[in-house]
Amino acid sequence: MKFRAERGEFADAASWSLRTVGARATLPALSGVHLEVAEDRLTLASTDLEVSSELSIPVQAERDGKALVPGRLLGDVVRSLPPAAVHAEIIDDRLHLECGRAKFDLRTMPTEDYPPLPEPDPEAGAAVMKAPTFSSLVAQVARAASGDDARPVLTGVHLEASPAGLIAAATDSYRLAVRSLSWEEEIEGTVLLPRRALDEARRVADSLGGEVRLVLEDHQVTLFVGDRRLTTRLIEGRFPDFRQLVPTGWDRRLNVERVALAEVVRRVAVVGEANTASTPVTLELTEDAVRVTAGSGEVGEADETLPGVLEGEPLQISFNPRYLSDGLDAVASDEVHLEFRDELKPAVVRPAPVEGEEDLDGDFLYLLMPVRV
Amino acid sequence: MSAGRRAYARGVRPSRPAEPILHLDMDAFYASVEVRSDPTLAGRPVLVGGTGGRGVVASASYEARTHGVRSAMPMAEALRRCPDAVVLAPDFARYREASDALMAILRSVTPLVEPLSLDEAFCDVGGAVRLLGDPPAIAEGLRTRIREELCLPASVGIAPNKLLAKLCSEKAKPDGLLPLPAAEVRAFLTPLDVRDLWGVGAQTAQRLARFGLTTVGDLAAADPATLVRIVGEAAGSQLALLARGEDPRPVVPHEPPKGMSAEETFDHDVDDPEVLRRELLRLAERVARRLRAGGVAGRTVVLKLRYASFETITRSRTLAVATDQATELHREVVGLLDELRLERVRVRLVGVGAHNLVPAGGTRQLDLLGSDRWDRLERTADRARERFGDAALTRGSLLDGDDPSEWPASEGPS
Repeated sequence: MKFRAERGEFADAASWSLRTVGARATLPALSGVHLEVAEDRLTLASTDLEVSSELSIPVQAERDGKALVPGRLLGDVVRSLPPAAVHAEIIDDRLHLECGRAKFDLRTMPTEDYPPLPEPDPEAGAAVMKAPTFSSLVAQVARAASGDDARPVLTGVHLEASPAGLIAAATDSYRLAVRSLSWEEEIEGTVLLPRRALDEARRVADSLGGEVRLVLEDHQVTLFVGDRRLTTRLIEGRFPDFRQLVPTGWDRRLNVERVALAEVVRRVAVVGEANTASTPVTLELTEDAVRVTAGSGEVGEADETLPGVLEGEPLQISFNPRYLSDGLDAVASDEVHLEFRDELKPAVVRPAPVEGEEDLDGDFLYLLMPVRV
Repeated sequence: MSAGRRAYARGVRPSRPAEPILHLDMDAFYASVEVRSDPTLAGRPVLVGGTGGRGVVASASYEARTHGVRSAMPMAEALRRCPDAVVLAPDFARYREASDALMAILRSVTPLVEPLSLDEAFCDVGGAVRLLGDPPAIAEGLRTRIREELCLPASVGIAPNKLLAKLCSEKAKPDGLLPLPAAEVRAFLTPLDVRDLWGVGAQTAQRLARFGLTTVGDLAAADPATLVRIVGEAAGSQLALLARGEDPRPVVPHEPPKGMSAEETFDHDVDDPEVLRRELLRLAERVARRLRAGGVAGRTVVLKLRYASFETITRSRTLAVATDQATELHREVVGLLDELRLERVRVRLVGVGAHNLVPAGGTRQLDLLGSDRWDRLERTADRARERFGDAALTRGSLLDGDDPSEWPASEGPS
């Protein structure tokens, strides 16, 4: 293998590849990035057995071939390269890199040890989304997924794809985020995938723009963004029946400025240890105002009131401040609707519809359980 | 002990025992710690204290005490009485460390631990009897753990209140246990010297003696008004109360408990994951009930394992929301266990802990997926156990264990 590549392109490709390099010591080959040159393209691949990634960049190839290079080392080397074209060549079991006057000589690992990476069936159903649409969907939904590995099902994002559209949902059992969008695509399937895979794809979509192509298969999901591909295994188990969790109506509805409420919640929550339910924030809703309080005699108290329009009877309800701000942050609209039954039933955050403006949030809802005080 | 035990042997256990207060006092604590770190000192008279010209004895081993040496005695005099004694300068860092370990053992039984000094504490075990047996059994268990884990002797008094518990531990020394059933309080107090009472010093004792009051029995029989005339208003009514064995002071824990845990050493090393999981459930139940009894919930769940090789490891995970539920504790520790990917590793001991405690105080993050059902179920089970005893209710998954004592009692509550 021998090629010449642009430094910037090569460095970007290598550092992206590193993001899915395996950390487990049991299979040393997984700590490597797999390089392959063919038809004037360099393909970089890596996997941690859950998520695998692949991308290719154009190079001037003198000799085709492949190599398995220790990932961490490759990353450190390319980050430090001077701005000049990169010349790479495999000689015996070593990778020689030359860039300007810098020369590196890296020991490689046997390519035979590298497991075959999963690839999507070209016949499998696929759907295409604009990159910003995909990004906003992931940003809105993934935040509700759990970080607790004890309940793997709740660490994932549930996707339901049909020819008419896509529904994405995640819940950590304290809140639930659901987003749907419509499309006309040849695709059908329901999957539960690791949040990490979606976050990685979103990162690429944000930086590259363009389109995201989603391929669903029974045992894996693949996301293409530009010339990059991520394939992820699915989480086993049944995602909760989230539709049944969403209330069918409301007794009280608050219309409030989203950013203003989010700021007040964050400010008031300072007196409590953030993100614990032991110091919730309490909302007191009256006809034309929302009073937000938090704290206890022990630590201190905070209190702030902002305008808001309530339909229905006054209500006092408490939340974990982090769960409430997450919900408010997930929406892009200027105003939100908060729908309530009573102080012990789930509350729903929705973007308030604005006539004549582009709908940035699609059909989104964020449901959160209150804290009983 | 016998009378104390009898009260609990009859049918349904009372929800709170008549004698819930323990006073635990280590025997010759500093000297015992020194003997522990240098076994060649065992059986010899050991004095810990100031070694300079005006130094005093801070702690004397029982061997030294037989020569008449007492704490606070000038070192010079102590050495006159016991010339063979080994004299050591105190090492407070080491005593502090032993004290921390001691208090941790006490707090594993009840959150209500009130340390009086490095080597002395009151414990209110009233809330622990349903889990751990009657107070004498708990006290004996503590003494055994302190002896085995810390290699130190301790004496315990068990009584209806702090005053009496402290008197009992004094009588129990060395290395003893003395329960004082409520019914025997008067007989116990009557012959005691007035100076045994809390707050009665040499001067007060002298003044009382002038009126012919030398024993606690004398005080109890005296008119409280007379006592007030002799020693003054406040001290007099206090004295009358103490003489009748009454002491309303509660046990006030000094520092909030950092965590609660339960562990079990297997009779035989275990490598069957199912057995481990079942034992973890049993321990999670125990910890959860203790959390609920203490009105606290833990945010950090800890798994402890000791392998047959005696290597001990702990793994922990911090939750978004603190829990006091066995179901959740169990799910987390099993998750931690699975992450270890043990393959036929023999395990000697397992433990479950809940740390990072916050007051459960009624606030509770509600759950969308119905984990609240478990919450209600476990609280209902707590109440049932309170009425019918521990064996009244258990989980189906714990029933196929081989420990018949965990099975529900065949006879109903009497």
